[in-house]
Amino acid sequence: MFLINCPYCGERDQAEFSCGGEAHITRPKNPPELTDDQWADYLFMRKNIKGIQFERWNHSNGCRRWFNVVRNTSTDEIIKVYNIGESPPNINGNNPSTPSGEPIIGSGNISTTFEKK
Amino acid sequence: MILNRENTIDSLKNNRIEERNGIKFQEFPFVNKINIRIDPEDKNQMSICGKILDTILPLIPNTYVENHSVKIVWLSPNEWLVINGNDDLFNKLQNKIGDNDASVTDVTENRTVIRISGKKIFKLLSKFLVLDLEKSLKDQSSSAQTLFVKVPVLLLKISNNQTPEIDIFANRSHANFIYNLLKDGSKNLDF
Repeated sequence: MFLINCPYCGERDQAEFSCGGEAHITRPKNPPELTDDQWADYLFMRKNIKGIQFERWNHSNGCRRWFNVVRNTSTDEIIKVYNIGESPPNINGNNPSTPSGEPIIGSGNISTTFEKK
Repeated sequence: MILNRENTIDSLKNNRIEERNGIKFQEFPFVNKINIRIDPEDKNQMSICGKILDTILPLIPNTYVENHSVKIVWLSPNEWLVINGNDDLFNKLQNKIGDNDASVTDVTENRTVIRISGKKIFKLLSKFLVLDLEKSLKDQSSSAQTLFVKVPVLLLKISNNQTPEIDIFANRSHANFIYNLLKDGSKNLDF
């Protein structure tokens, strides 16, 4: 459990929110021209980084507004909250050390090397 | 017209007030409620709405305003709940602003209101909420939308005097569940 600072309601418990997955995924301009692989990539393939991830969250049991969050998925630290439509902030260091000090290469960290097509 | 309207909480029928350990429980089952959605940037619609309601729509999150007849609660940046508005008010709003750019919906039957009052209501509620009550319901005319155990509720702080009162707006189907938990929780508040 952690606290999220809703841009409208202020700091609230995570239980009030729903995570909408990876942020900044743009819908292709001409879907009929895409191959099945490209369309499936847009629809289904999402990063699941152990480290700093850009996510969409919805305050589903509060003001029901969507916003973006930069979250360290290994520590649940919220690094930044910003509105939908804003450009993602420039945040470096996508591979922070984990609290338990696991090696970078390991079963839990393998997704950090995942590259989208 | 809706026939056979019933209280959701049997033991609070006919405006009965229950008291447990210094906490009073009362249900207001048929309070008129109107949901309004308008673009807050649309000055014209906001102005029309303000004239009909005789007060401005609150723009500060988690607050409500009230005048002689209605309370207007901020629900989100473009959504408000008008409490105690009668049919006439609903028709006026519907006719004046209920076009494609705004919506006016009668949500009276959606939620019931459980009013709790007593010195220890914050202690009682803190057993069930994931909300920092001291922060969120500190001021007069403050409101909060949150979870009561896992049930979405709207809380309004009614009075700021010696005996605080809070109105809990909950779905009618969850009202009994909430009431029973509150009743049970009020047994031990001396921790």
